[in-house]
Amino acid sequence: MTGPLFLGLDVGSLSCDAVLVDRNGRSVAWTVLPTGARVLDTVDRTRREVLELAGVGPAAVAATVATGYGRERVEGRIAAVTEITCHARGITALLPGTDVLVDIGGQDSKAVRLDHSGRVVDFAMNDKCAAGTGRFLEAMARALEVDVPDLGDLDAEARTGLTLSSMCTVFAESEVVSLVASGADVAEIVAGLHRAIAARTQGLVRRVAPQFDGLEVAMSGGVARNRGVVRALAAALGRPVTVPDEPDTVGALGAALIARDRALAADPAP
Amino acid sequence: MTAGSPPLVGFTCRHTPLAMLHAAGMTPFRLLPLTQAPDRAGAWLHDNLCPHVKRVLDRALDGDLPPLAGVVLMASCDAMRRLADAWGTARPDDRVAVLDLPMVDNPRSVAWLTAELERFRTELERWTGRTVTDAAIRSAAADLATLATRLDELAAAAAAGTLPGGWGALQAARNLTVTAPLDESGRHLQQLAGSITRGKDPDCPASLPVLLVGNLLPDPTALSLLEACGARPLADDLCTGARQLVAVTLDDVPDGQVTLRLAEALLAPPHCARTLCPGEPGRWARELATRARASNAAGVIAHVAKFCDPYLARLPALRLELREAGLPLLVLEGDCTSGSVGQHRTRIEAFVEMLAEGT
Amino acid sequence: MIRDHFAELVTGLEARLADAGPGEPVARKTFALEAAQLGLRLFSGEAPVAWCGVLAPFDLLHAVGFEPCFVEFVGATLAGNGAAPPLLQLAEAEGADPTSCSFHRTALGAVASGLIPTPEVVIATSAPCTGGLAVVEELARRLRRPLFVLNVPHSRHQAAVEYLAEQLHDLVGFLAEVTGRSLHPGRLREVVELTNRARHAMVEIDRLTRHVPSPARPRDLVNFALVVSLLLGREAGVRVTGAYRDELERRARDRSPGLQGERLRVLWLQNRIQFRSPVEPLLEELGVAVAVDELNPVTWPPIDPEDPFPGFARRMLSTPLVGGLAHRLDHVVRLARGYRVDGAVNPCHWGCRQGSGARGLVDRALREAGFPVLNLEVDCVDQRTFAEGQVRTRIEAFVEMLAERRPARELEA
Repeated sequence: MTGPLFLGLDVGSLSCDAVLVDRNGRSVAWTVLPTGARVLDTVDRTRREVLELAGVGPAAVAATVATGYGRERVEGRIAAVTEITCHARGITALLPGTDVLVDIGGQDSKAVRLDHSGRVVDFAMNDKCAAGTGRFLEAMARALEVDVPDLGDLDAEARTGLTLSSMCTVFAESEVVSLVASGADVAEIVAGLHRAIAARTQGLVRRVAPQFDGLEVAMSGGVARNRGVVRALAAALGRPVTVPDEPDTVGALGAALIARDRALAADPAP
Repeated sequence: MTAGSPPLVGFTCRHTPLAMLHAAGMTPFRLLPLTQAPDRAGAWLHDNLCPHVKRVLDRALDGDLPPLAGVVLMASCDAMRRLADAWGTARPDDRVAVLDLPMVDNPRSVAWLTAELERFRTELERWTGRTVTDAAIRSAAADLATLATRLDELAAAAAAGTLPGGWGALQAARNLTVTAPLDESGRHLQQLAGSITRGKDPDCPASLPVLLVGNLLPDPTALSLLEACGARPLADDLCTGARQLVAVTLDDVPDGQVTLRLAEALLAPPHCARTLCPGEPGRWARELATRARASNAAGVIAHVAKFCDPYLARLPALRLELREAGLPLLVLEGDCTSGSVGQHRTRIEAFVEMLAEGT
Repeated sequence: MIRDHFAELVTGLEARLADAGPGEPVARKTFALEAAQLGLRLFSGEAPVAWCGVLAPFDLLHAVGFEPCFVEFVGATLAGNGAAPPLLQLAEAEGADPTSCSFHRTALGAVASGLIPTPEVVIATSAPCTGGLAVVEELARRLRRPLFVLNVPHSRHQAAVEYLAEQLHDLVGFLAEVTGRSLHPGRLREVVELTNRARHAMVEIDRLTRHVPSPARPRDLVNFALVVSLLLGREAGVRVTGAYRDELERRARDRSPGLQGERLRVLWLQNRIQFRSPVEPLLEELGVAVAVDELNPVTWPPIDPEDPFPGFARRMLSTPLVGGLAHRLDHVVRLARGYRVDGAVNPCHWGCRQGSGARGLVDRALREAGFPVLNLEVDCVDQRTFAEGQVRTRIEAFVEMLAERRPARELEA
């Protein structure tokens, strides 16, 4: 492989993601590692791993942009750019024409409104509580004694429209335990959980897009891997929701593309 | 609503001059915060506003409303002011009247409210194309007073355990009186009164008498649930309960003074916590404590909508007054539905157990 | 504790002003000194204090002979000192709702801990908020002082002005009855003339700060109009507003920007964060100037010294946070255009029903007018809940977005 590469690092509180792109903006390698307690070590390991996967050494990287909560701690970056801007850039590359991006991560969620050229025109965040995020689903999966990755398909048989009355992660967990103890069907409970997340998320989306008619909606973040949540959100919005192949790395991809854009603008032949 | 029935006017506050709506040939329709409409109000206003206002706005945004000839909103508190703003923006084609409601009940405020009612009279006449006479207001007030008296009798029966369906049935009747034409409500209340039994239902589980206070709890299931938890209200002081219909006698009030008398009645005690008496700060809490003491209640349950500043700000004073009266207080903050009362089940049952231990 | 804080402030500011060299900015220090001296008088235990709602006519009360102040001043002062948390905890332990406004909760905590000097009277205003009204009522109840309530009407037409003006006359009568302090017409005239002089200077300040780049330094106008309202009707008010006018005139004439490297301008809605937070330094670092605060510009006409009561009433009713929202929306859109901002920042102060409760409608109006809005969702007084990483991310994302919209402006790498 010849030519300079551009690195995007998304240092989140739960996972550290890295994406390498070439000068054409094509992704050549990516990786995801759990952040853990030692952020700087993880950033180093993530960098090394993505370079190994690409079969290149550090010198191949012409520019790095960092995003995520730990972005200011990444050394050797040309810029720290927020995950809002990076996610917008990433989703526009993967799904051009996206009007609204819903990103639900481990412990926060956001809705981003994009214009026709993929620029951010508005955004809304829920970073005050875990309700509706990956943490919420982890707690519920624990209460149901199932694995998080299996949640997505478990609601397929649900019919009754069971609803949860609490969105607080702590109280919802108690409620799920009570429902299980009273013999409620797991599929119904899981469907209720997915509907609860969708209801909360659609409220966030409305803050950036009061009307949904005709809007192209995409979803990113770890929770986007849960097909049940995606289905429930599509039902709540009345619009199809598209999920790219690797929804967790949209932010890192966006960061890599921004690194490329800025580096080439400064020096078209780095 | 059936064909030929009077047109409906939506309202949300117990301070609404219902007699004027009836006098205009319209039927008041209380917009209760009970709906399956999706949560949209947070995006139009803010998530942390009271669920009363949010759910009413959700209904408006979702079209979960009967056909309304108009809406009248009282500027009773910050959340209601925001509801009026949002409604006007979200449904610009609706006819919406916003009436100022003073925060105090002194003569100058009564005069101001009277002027607002006169302004509203003109608005109603514009809406309906007919004159709203003092005579018609008098007549409607008398009918509403009759309904209020009948409801008081039903409430006494519910408190005594002799009303089939108990407080749930009472609440359903209360809801009907603010959503149906006067004659239909009258008929229903008469029927219900006829079903009152002589003695208490022997199968009725033992319960402890409480005074139920607060703002909104319109869901009949919520009240039944309260009784099922062993708490039997002896009386209530709720906006959707005993304070909902303002009973005022206007028979001896001459023409030209009718709206003044109506304004006095709307601002008179028993007060919503938002109305205060400058000469007696803290009067609301004192009056409730006096009432609780005078009744045979073993304790007080306050059900308050979340984020309701006028109520939440005054609860500490209420707790102090009740403590002096030797009466325990249980505060439940909720979303005005049976769902949130259900979530409070354990606390209500624990409170009842505590009261039972004490008696 | 609070008295000592003000005494130290006074000493320190007097020394700094005495040492100030020619050309050194002194307006903000002059303002801070007058506010500190006011604070000292309030908490000395000697002045006839009137604790009030924020819209009370402080110049009128001063004319009657009071040292009036609004209760939120306590919350703001303590927060600025980092001293709010223990009082918030105390208030909550006594039952204050934690979802309510912390300006008020801090004041309740201060009352509960005996930090508030007993006033002669308590004067509540029903606007801007019902929460504030309830807290002032509670203050009157706890401190067992006479209470007067100014019922601020929802509308602004002439009848509303008259209603409010009549209540102000009632207020004067009430004060004479319960405290023996009367209003002398000559004194009132003097006070109103001083108010109008200060107002005139404030109008000039509004005009001067429209310059691009803004001549106002980042902290110059924080809490300006709110605290100046306490100095209206006094020589201090004329002095402070005059000092600002002169300084801003000089800076505008010399084309001396308040923020070096101003590259973006924002409108700040409602209240500033009262405790020391990284928000303002971050905005400065990113080259963002707060071109105007929503509550600073003058919205009221001069008051007629011969018949001031309607003027006082009009002033109260002109506040953007009173009555229906349409008035406020017009105001903020006009400011955004007039001050040529790139966007608006709404702190969405926790617990503020009337202000933050309008978040969505304010967003909509500004967005439709072409101005993006950043909602911070912070508590302006309770620093316990401040989440720096989250707020930083929101601000940076907003600035990234604004910068993308203005490629003509110089961008720093």
